Amino acid sequence: MSEVKKENKIDKLLNQEMTRRKFMKISGKSLAGLTVSASLLSLFGCTQEQVDSGAVSLWTTPTGLLVVNQAKCTGCQRCEINCTVVNDGMVSSHTSRVKITRNLMSNNGHGTYQDDWVYYPDTCRQCDVPACGEACPKEAIYADDKGVKHVDEAKCVGCGACVEACPWHMPTIHPETRKSTKCILCGACAEGCVTGALSIVPWDAVTAAAQPTRKN
Amino acid sequence: MTIYGWAGKILRVNFTTGSITTEDTMKYKDYIGGIGIGYKVIYDEVPLDTHPYDEASKIVLAMGPLTGTGVPCSGRLSMTFLSSWTKGFSVVDAHMGGHISHALKYAGYDGIIFEGKSETPVYLKIDDDKVSIEDASHLWGKGTFEANRILVEENGSDFDAATIGPAGENLVNMSCMITSVGNAGGAGVGAIFGSKKVKGFVVRGTGSLKVADPKGLKEVSDYMLRELVGGNNNHNVPAVPQSWAEYSAPSGKNRWSGAPGRGWHKAEGGFVDMGEQPVGDIDKIGYRAHKGHFDHGPIADKYMVKVGGCSSCPIRCYAQYDIDPLAEYDLPTKVSNTCMPIIYQSAWYPEGLTDFVDEGDANLVICGAGARAVDDYGLWDNYGNIQRDFNYLYRSGILKEKLPEEEWNSIPWHWMKEGDPRFVVDIVRRISLKEGEISKLGLGTYLLVEEWDLGKEYFDIEYLQNVTYNGYPKHHSSEDAWQSGLLYNIMYNRDCMVHHITNFVQSGSPYELYKKILEEEFGEGAVDKPKHYTPMNRAKARLAKWAFIGKQWHDMATLCNWMYPMTLSPSKERGYKGDLELDAKYMTAVTGENWTREDVDLVSERVTNMLRVITAISFHIHEGSTNLREDHDTIAAWVFDKEPDFEPFEAGTVKMDREDMEVAKTMFYEEMGWDVKTGIPTRETLERLGLGYMADDLEARGLLPA
Repeated sequence: MSEVKKENKIDKLLNQEMTRRKFMKISGKSLAGLTVSASLLSLFGCTQEQVDSGAVSLWTTPTGLLVVNQAKCTGCQRCEINCTVVNDGMVSSHTSRVKITRNLMSNNGHGTYQDDWVYYPDTCRQCDVPACGEACPKEAIYADDKGVKHVDEAKCVGCGACVEACPWHMPTIHPETRKSTKCILCGACAEGCVTGALSIVPWDAVTAAAQPTRKN
Repeated sequence: MTIYGWAGKILRVNFTTGSITTEDTMKYKDYIGGIGIGYKVIYDEVPLDTHPYDEASKIVLAMGPLTGTGVPCSGRLSMTFLSSWTKGFSVVDAHMGGHISHALKYAGYDGIIFEGKSETPVYLKIDDDKVSIEDASHLWGKGTFEANRILVEENGSDFDAATIGPAGENLVNMSCMITSVGNAGGAGVGAIFGSKKVKGFVVRGTGSLKVADPKGLKEVSDYMLRELVGGNNNHNVPAVPQSWAEYSAPSGKNRWSGAPGRGWHKAEGGFVDMGEQPVGDIDKIGYRAHKGHFDHGPIADKYMVKVGGCSSCPIRCYAQYDIDPLAEYDLPTKVSNTCMPIIYQSAWYPEGLTDFVDEGDANLVICGAGARAVDDYGLWDNYGNIQRDFNYLYRSGILKEKLPEEEWNSIPWHWMKEGDPRFVVDIVRRISLKEGEISKLGLGTYLLVEEWDLGKEYFDIEYLQNVTYNGYPKHHSSEDAWQSGLLYNIMYNRDCMVHHITNFVQSGSPYELYKKILEEEFGEGAVDKPKHYTPMNRAKARLAKWAFIGKQWHDMATLCNWMYPMTLSPSKERGYKGDLELDAKYMTAVTGENWTREDVDLVSERVTNMLRVITAISFHIHEGSTNLREDHDTIAAWVFDKEPDFEPFEAGTVKMDREDMEVAKTMFYEEMGWDVKTGIPTRETLERLGLGYMADDLEARGLLPA
């Protein structure tokens, strides 16, 4: 009974006027068990069945909803390539702010060498209260006026506290620059994803799609 | 000085002494990378009379400056070594995709030279600059899928692995190395590793590859993805109509097979519809290649989980299947491949196949069983020759004559007659483990003909597809690319793997459209109508040279020759014209040096001539030959004698004409700067390419043309 209630509540939420604040309530959780409206599904590039199977994750970020659909990830690593060529001016898997390679071969019994081809890009969650920033002894991780967290390279000493503090170990200390590579939501990974497994849906689009239309 | 594009070091590992050293890649810069470094090291360091399985034999694994930089379709590496199975036992190369080339570059290496011989089974562990030789006794005898899994589990999930299977361990000439989901390097490399007792290698690379102009590189990459790239094999129009597209393939079939309503039924969360993939939409490019549908039709969708491929490549040409009917036979159901293993296993069943669950699924299920088996055992099929040899020898009754009665009776022929998928697995096992006389199929066609005394006329049988008398088949030859295709098919010491011409011929684009684009480059008469050829001309020789040296460029750079060059484009705004300057643009952005197409052509020609010189020396040593035209570049009779109801150059046939092909060879040698009598490079050509030392060598051996 309570499950049904919860489902109805979130269903309502998803189909009513959406704000970032409301989405925060479901951010980071698997959407499994939720019914998502057709207009939002279309925006997220996924199906209700993919939502039900747990293949789709949503993360709220200051600039939009980050949608990761692992059913569509084909492991080409272009997200990592684009991340590093844009942000570091050199190319690497290890220092990438989005991480597919560490999941591609073998991840907790899944992956290429586990014969099931379940892999996905790990992304920075752009947490409201970021563990990375909280842990930084130099207060080098700051939020810009949109709320996007950046690394002040002048302050960063490459100690790795952010890497340890992040529950998903998303920042990396670049072996050459000795600076933390933390995602700054530049969007290069999603823009270059050749199957749309990774996308960032801007808030105005989310809000528009979630609005009941006049016709309805 | 900062090096851009290249990682900077070559790793040299001697398995006899255990010595592990590095050297500066830049000493090989004239040869760029990949097979360029491969040919140079083999030529300099391995006497060409060395037996491929001797301690002195080496494998040169190398990438080029574009691999690892994110240039689309660059997740490749080459392995160069002496052939154990072709006439002349000269230099061959294997090419492998997957993800491991990126890991190697990020670990800091442009290549690995494997030399010497271990006494016990080992593998090479590369963890950035920490490199060690590790015990592999627990992996010896295991299939590649299990070995790769164990290696990654033991070393860490951010490692990648590549291994040989039992075929390589047992020194089966027809053997390969496997990484990722069935990405293979063939040409017999498995047994060279096996002779060194090296099961394979694992790599973790946490470094970065520097590029001179990252912004420029991103711009050129995005330009390629928005305007130039097509589908699989760079087919530039979709197979079936899409709402945005002016053209589609008239046959309804090409390798841009992704389309609305087609997709992957076994994906997580159910069906993924591949939809339309308009020009310019980067986030849809990955749905263009639907190799499953191209290979097996709509039934493929039922069993597909997703698609895969190599690092950096937006064209996901590996269909990844979960073929449940195989479970009933206790066979693995997860199968992935893109080439012969997943399309050619029904040849093991000369008496035909029976469907399993749905109408028309027999070939897919059998190919699934066969693909998994050959990749797991690490058996290489020589582009289908091993299957064709089996099929023909069975049908002709020769196989029964050659096998001892006891062995013949031990083979589960009833499985073959019933179309049971366990039959292919059984035969693959026998060949890979060298069980019995049937395993002679693993020698390769050239040595099999000798061993079973099948006679030179064996190569003249059309079904067997041998393009020369040297032991390997055609690979998109005159049937796609008239005289030009046949010319580059006979230049190598294995199947040619050149896709330059087949890619536009099979693209589905209108003939007049691609003819115009190509003839602007190579001259009038370069491009024949499908199945309506004209006699040889100079433009066709130029076209053949472009494709031949261009293939070497790809294996130097290292780029995928299935995708490059970007000859055509799917963009109507561009008039469907691609960009043949693209590779030079990438080289400029990556290295910071100013590269032109002419520069690319020059280094390609240099490395191509190294292949030719090494081949000439090997043929001299092993065959006593002083003439490649007569002893290497021979064309099997069936190419001229097929379709007896037709004359050459009639509409409707792709048969070739003997005299015309001699004209073709002469014109081609002239374009290449080779002596027309012997087909051996002249001193003038070699010196122009900076290969004067090779001219001296040829002269000392009495091989240099007068």
